[in-house]
Order: sequence, then structure tokens, then C-alpha cells
Amino acid sequence: MVQSESIFRLDGVTRRFGALTALDDITFEAPQNEYISLLGPSGAGKTSLLRVIAGFESPDVGRIHFLGRDITDLPAHKRGIGFVFQNFALFPHLTVFENIAFGLRNGIDDIADAQIGDRVREMVDLVGLSGLEDRVPDQISGGQKQRVALARTLVMQPKLVLLDEPLGALDANLRGRMQTELRQIRERLNVTFLHVTGSETEALAMGDTVAVLDRGRIIQSGTPEQIHDTPSSSDVALFLNRFNLFDGKLSADAFHGPFGPVPAANVCQNPTDIYAIRYDRTKAFRKGDTLPGPALPARFLASEYLGSSVISFFETADHKQVEVDHHLSFGDPDNYKVGEEYVLSWDPRHAIVFGQEAAA
Amino acid sequence: MESKALKPILAVYVAAFILFLYGPFIVLGILSFQQGPEGGPQFPIIDWSTYWYRHLFGLTPPSRIAPLPVGEALLRSLTLAFMTMVTATVLGVMAAQAFRRRFRGAGIVFYLIVLGMMVPGVLTGLGTSLLANNVVGVERHWWTTAFVAHVVYTFPFAFLVMLAILNRFDGSVEEAAWSLGVSPARTFRKVTFPLIFPGVLSAMLFAFTLSFDEFPRTLFASGRDQTLPLAIYGTFSVEIHPNIFAFGVMTTLFSFSLLAVYGILMGLSVRRAKKIAMQEDIA
Repeated sequence: MVQSESIFRLDGVTRRFGALTALDDITFEAPQNEYISLLGPSGAGKTSLLRVIAGFESPDVGRIHFLGRDITDLPAHKRGIGFVFQNFALFPHLTVFENIAFGLRNGIDDIADAQIGDRVREMVDLVGLSGLEDRVPDQISGGQKQRVALARTLVMQPKLVLLDEPLGALDANLRGRMQTELRQIRERLNVTFLHVTGSETEALAMGDTVAVLDRGRIIQSGTPEQIHDTPSSSDVALFLNRFNLFDGKLSADAFHGPFGPVPAANVCQNPTDIYAIRYDRTKAFRKGDTLPGPALPARFLASEYLGSSVISFFETADHKQVEVDHHLSFGDPDNYKVGEEYVLSWDPRHAIVFGQEAAA
Repeated sequence: MESKALKPILAVYVAAFILFLYGPFIVLGILSFQQGPEGGPQFPIIDWSTYWYRHLFGLTPPSRIAPLPVGEALLRSLTLAFMTMVTATVLGVMAAQAFRRRFRGAGIVFYLIVLGMMVPGVLTGLGTSLLANNVVGVERHWWTTAFVAHVVYTFPFAFLVMLAILNRFDGSVEEAAWSLGVSPARTFRKVTFPLIFPGVLSAMLFAFTLSFDEFPRTLFASGRDQTLPLAIYGTFSVEIHPNIFAFGVMTTLFSFSLLAVYGILMGLSVRRAKKIAMQEDIA
């Protein structure tokens, strides 16, 4: 079998806006025919990265390769890369049908009307817009606009589609459904999706590959499992929003945190010393119970019922909030009393220790 | 309460404003129906008649009052206003489009364009004529020097209208078109222009009306053949007859019909969208 080539490659891409560096020397290679999600907090440079790949902006330094070709100096309309905008950016003066047909009608290739009709109708069926062809964008709902934006892009049969927070403008119910649909549509058409999002759940749920962007740099990329189970730095762990992170001091194979010294076996290189334990690995005990590991006294604040699990919030003596995620398949949760003191503990083997001096 | 006293005062103020706005026109309208050819441009109305309207079109028996020499001037002014409208609007759209991206010296260029509106008109007209005659070597005509003076005068208005429209314009629809493989030129024609068209109409209306009754700039710049405002002014220096009022009524009606066309074109897209919405509701 032929070795699968990368769909696009970024070589040291840097983009500055005055004193601000939006993209800082990004080098990244994206696999073909995959769903790639790009996770990052707001201001991380996610949108700038998409706009540079699409050709709406050009990088100050660095090259962009697409399908083995250097496209850095190619204008946007000659790149053949699809773009789905967060605000959809539909053409308000055209019907749904004409929105989808726009690229076919006005592109460089002359396509016969009959063929345009066939391709648009096929796409209308694929994204489930039948019956709405003659409406204008003002007369359809947010979810339908999303589908028009997607259909308009996919009808051009691009090899790569960039999606800028495509689910951000939808309500929660619709977001879940569109997540599944986006994945299905992508698999059927064999295109690569690069999906930018600020939501860690969305990124992990949708991506075959997840890349984490922070301050203009890609700080980790890998499968969702890799990212989730072994974040490469405390920043990644922070964005995942699934870890209790404790400051402390690492010295001679032990981490000194608010819970006292704990043996630290595997230490990941990190700018600061941080001890991370996942919410669902953290457990609350009453005083006097046998503990599986370190003891961290904390006061119960409140809990949130999420359907499949209950999240309980505790506060330590130094006013740091700690979350305990109890999955209901492990039995009913304990009833904690607000204001009462408990002891938080965990199996130290599950913890990830980040330190300035990485252990060999 | 303060507002209780304020309301009637404001009502009177608005009423007075409207009266002063339309009063002169109403008076002219009434006097245009004065009896002719003996009746003069003053009250009382001797007898109601359409004599002066017929006089305007040469339908009355010859009398000592010469027909108003405005036919050619009217045609000239209409042509000039049309030329000015097209040129100023095209330039205004292009300049405003350029200002969507910040470029070096954008601030200075902006003020240079806008401050042009503040320069006294008579001086601009005179300056244009002197420049054309003595420096460039172009003869003064309504279609040369006056045309340039009119474009220079109306261009900032068209520019400002388009700038306001494009300021609110969301450029992501253009980027969307590019990402679909559509060239920037075609994107402008198929996406940008249809969306800014209401603004273009307003700019055209401004340019046309400003040019049509322009006086001070044209005074020196128009050369031998006069435009309509100059021709009308010329008849005042001899003697005023109600035929000039009849003519005023005619041109005002013409302007109103222009406005109506503008209104219809503006409302068309809105109405079409509403119509579709109503059909959807019924279905």
C-alpha cells in the first residue's frame, strides 16, 4: 500500500499583529481523511491559524503545503480549501439552493446547469435540507443555516474543510446532533475536517486527532485518548478541564503539595511543578476512613447532578477548589453535608506529576 | 411635569418647520395658476387658469412675454447630472472600498476628500475654470470644466454614503465566496455589489440632485451654454412672470418622481422577502 500522505503541512508558520504574536512558529502535519480537532482557549490563535491556511491572511514567516504543493503565495480562491464560518456567512440575497450552487455557478470551471442542479440536490439530500431550497437565509433556523454553510462548501468537493467553531452558535441540543452528523458526513465524503473549538468535550468527542493550541503554539497533538490520559504539560491538563491541579515543589522523587509529600515516579517536563489528578480519580472520604493514598482535608461546598455522574465541589484550607466526579455506574453517591470537613484522596499511581526537572 | 410643557412646544416647532419648508413651494404652486398673460407674480389671484403651463410648452397665442428659454438648459442639466451621478458614484464606491483596509496615509486622504466639501463653491468653480483655461488649455464648457467641478463637489457625498454602508458590511461573506473558488472580481459583482446596492442608490440620488441644482460652482465653470439653474437666474434679471413658477412646479414634480423610483427600488428587495415569508406562512 502507498504510504498515506499528509493533507497539509505547516512549516514554522508565524503571524504577528503589531506587538501580538498570534501564531508562533507552528510546525504541524495533518493526516489525510481524518477528523482533526484543534482545541485552544480564546485568544490562542485558533482562528488566525484557520485564516492563514485558508489564504485570507498570509503568514509573516513560514510555508504552507497542501497536497504536496506550496500554497503560501496562492490567493484563497485558487486553493480549493473549504471554510465554514462561525456566523455561517450565508449570502443573504440568495435562496438556499443558490447559496449551495454559488461556487459551482461562479467558479473558474464552466459547469452545465443540469449538472449543477444534480450536484446541489444531492448535497441538499445529504445534509437534510429538502423542501427549504427556495427560502432565503433569513427564513431558516440556526441549525439549518449551519447545514447550508456546510453543503455550500462540500458541494465543491474540497479535500480539506476548515470549520471555525461551527457549533458555537447552536443550542446544546442541536450541538450534540450536529456533532454526530458532521462526523458521518465527513466519513461518507472522505475529506479532512479541521475543526476549531474552545470546548474540550467537543474536541475529544469529535477528533480522530486532537491538537492543542496555546499562545500561538501547538503544545500537543495525538489521539483523544493520548491527550486525555497523558497530557504532555500542565497547560494541556488545564484546558482539558478534567484535572485537579495542585501547585507544589518537586524534589528527589517526591512531590510536596498541600497534601504533604507524595512519591513521584514518572515526572513530565514542565515549566512549573504541578501535581495533576483527574476529577473522576479523586474521591471523598469521611475522617477516619482508610485512604488509598495522600490525604487532603477539604470542606464540601456543593454538588451538580449531570445525569450520568455527580460532580462535587470541595474547598481546601488554602481556598482552592477541588472537584470530585462520581460516575453513577459505580453506585449511588454519598450524601455530603455543606460546610462539613472531609478528606480527599486518590491512588497516587493515577496522578501525573509535572516538574521542572524531569525524572530520567 | 417638564415633558408636558415640552411636548406642545416641540409640536409647534415641528409645525413651523414644515410650514417654512413647504410654504414657499405652496405659494409658488398657487401663483403658477394665475391668469395670463396680464396676471403677475403676486396676489391676489385674478382668475384661476393653466395659461402659464400652456405658455411653457408654447401652446398659447404669441404675446409680449417671450417663452422661457429653458428647454435646452433643462436637457443640458439632466445630462450633466446623469454624467456626474455615474462618475461620482463609481469613484465613491471605489474609494470607500479602498478604505476598508487600513493603508498608509489613510487618515490624511480621508480628511483631504471630506474637507473638499468645505471649500467655498464659487472659488472652486473659478479655480477650475482658471486651471482649465490657463494651465491645462481646455475650453470652458458644461461638459468639461463644469462636469469636473460637479464630480469634485458630489464625490465626497457619494464616498461618505458608501463608507457608512461598507463599515457595517460583514466581509466574511466575501471570504466565503473566495473559499468556494470564486475570484475577487466576480465576488464583488455577485455578492458585495448586490448587498451594498441600497447604499449605491442613495449615493446616486445624492450626486444627481446635488448636481442638478448646483449654482455657485457652475457659474464660472459652465462657459457659454448655461445649465438650468443659471438659465432660470438669467430670466430673473429681466422680469418675473408666473411661467417661472409653473416651471418650478414641473421640475419639483419631476424630482418627486425620481424619489419615487428610488423608493420603489429600495423597497423592492424588502417586499420580495416579506412576500416569500407570507407565502411560507400560508402554506
